[in-house]
Amino acid sequence: MSKIVILGAGISGHVAAAHLRRKLSKEHEVVVVSPNSNYQWIPSNIWVGIGRMKSEKILFPLAPLYKKKGIGFKQAKAVSFHPEGDSTEQKPYVLSEYVVGDNKGKQEKVTYDYLINATGPKLNFEATEGLIPGENKTYSVCTYTHADHAWEGLSALIEDMKKGKKAKILIGTGHAKSTCQGAAFEYILNVEEELQKHNVRDMAEITWIANEHELGDFGMDGVLMSYNDMIMKSSELVEMIFEDRGIKWIIGAGVNKIEDGIAHYETLDGDYKTESYDFAMLIPAFSGHGFKAYDKNENDITEKLFKGFMIVDADYTSKPYEEWTVQDWPETYQNPSYKNIFAPGIAFAPPHAISKPRKSKNGTDISPAPPRTGMPSGITAKLVAENIIETIKNGKTSTDHKGSLGNMGAACIASAGFGFWKGSGVSITTYPIVPDFKKYPDSHGRHLGKTFGAIGLAGHWLKLMLHYAFIYKAKMRPFWWLIPE
Amino acid sequence: MKRISPRMRFRMMNPFLQFFKFIILSVKIMVIVAGGHGGTREKVK
Ligand SMILES: Cc1cc2nc3c(=O)[nH]c(=O)nc-3n(C[C@H](O)[C@H](O)[C@H](O)COP(=O)(O)OP(=O)(O)OC[C@H]3O[C@@H](n4cnc5c(N)ncnc54)[C@H](O)[C@@H]3O)c2cc1C
Repeated sequence: MSKIVILGAGISGHVAAAHLRRKLSKEHEVVVVSPNSNYQWIPSNIWVGIGRMKSEKILFPLAPLYKKKGIGFKQAKAVSFHPEGDSTEQKPYVLSEYVVGDNKGKQEKVTYDYLINATGPKLNFEATEGLIPGENKTYSVCTYTHADHAWEGLSALIEDMKKGKKAKILIGTGHAKSTCQGAAFEYILNVEEELQKHNVRDMAEITWIANEHELGDFGMDGVLMSYNDMIMKSSELVEMIFEDRGIKWIIGAGVNKIEDGIAHYETLDGDYKTESYDFAMLIPAFSGHGFKAYDKNENDITEKLFKGFMIVDADYTSKPYEEWTVQDWPETYQNPSYKNIFAPGIAFAPPHAISKPRKSKNGTDISPAPPRTGMPSGITAKLVAENIIETIKNGKTSTDHKGSLGNMGAACIASAGFGFWKGSGVSITTYPIVPDFKKYPDSHGRHLGKTFGAIGLAGHWLKLMLHYAFIYKAKMRPFWWLIPE
Repeated sequence: MKRISPRMRFRMMNPFLQFFKFIILSVKIMVIVAGGHGGTREKVK
């Protein structure tokens, strides 16, 4: 009998738990430890943030589902890792602290045979002075509560605009090293569309601010793609969309401080500038959770497990951009020191960025961190679950299931406006996610047949279909496993 | 500044044309994303 503990019930933790439970007999225990009582389909937060979807539509409570499916659930947060146990506990464990109910604040040693760390990112708002969701007129759409809050702020501003107020809206990244530009891109297009629908578009100046050195970098070093009969750069595609919609942009900008209605930023040219606004949605830096790890003698072994995020089978040797290869990226998401620990989704430490690192003239790093979107998060979680299942069933370590971001495709369906007949979406599919410059030297590291863009109503339908399909799958309804990650 | 011509916009927003686009995109995405993934290292000597 084996016990598999999964930390986190986001996209990757939930996918791993669902597959493990489906394929392992009931003698094996699957336990999820996560502080949030709900599962949330994060990509649809964009629509919550423009008031077109209620947050209840993108979430559901985990406890009843897990009870029904035979998955253990502890509403708690991991505090520290003890992969060798300690003087009183022989088995490896994670020290966890309950966050609700009578047990709130109580700590428990949650022992395991296999551990999946799927804790995603810490939304590191503190890394930017004054960047606090709901304060200083800045908002976030990274969680459903943030998105609800953002809609409150935006709808109040729309009412003011209807009364004649001119407004400035700033959307993008809130830190020099932020990632997840795609989410901000979706949000700016949806906000612009919403202002059109409320007949106040001419009252607003909308500006994109980002740490990308050119538009459309998305933390993926930009994308060269097929678009209709042309080959187009993502920078050209985004520029076309922004110009068409009258959206201004500031790029190569590392936001470093927020005051009430003022964003301070440094540019790659080394200038220190400010931008005023009446409403801002800025994506914070993502960081690891700052977990500590200890061996059985209570010695600190954090550096064996964490490098900000969790250390896995990547090549972390420091090297210049020109020497980066797809082989640097992990394949099995297994920790090299403790082979029964895995970290899929956003929880693993990437070997380096994907976009070329850039510094300002003052030496400040201003360039996007690597994004890890929902699809790769689900795929990496499933392959980790499959390796654990085979290891348990065959009685010997299996790492046959592999999935490097350098040999995996991803579809980014960016909503560009909500509405069954009037909605729109920008669909960008890339293969591979991490460019392979050796294999595809003439197309900026990507396969042009599999890397393409499309704009239109079909993109909105796709995004909506994915919303319903993935919530159906997450609820583990009949034949859920037929829906791919 | 108008960057998307009325003809292009019509094609982007026409439900009939977009229905076919939706089918094509869904299939292409399925093939690319669900069509497999793997390692990268074994191929490098
Ligand atoms: C606004 C927005 C829009 C997006 N849109 C898209 C999109 O359209 N398409 C796409 O592919 N991707 C999109 N993404 C990215 C996608 O949401 C992420 O890739 C995905 O959520 C990552 O999954 P994860 O499981 O690794 O992390 P998360 O989903 O962040 O899950 C982490 C889990 O860990 C839990 N946790 C945190 N701390 C602890 C702790 N100490 N102990 C235990 N558990 C803990 C959390 O409560 C959570 O349940 C979007 C992201 C954002 C923010």
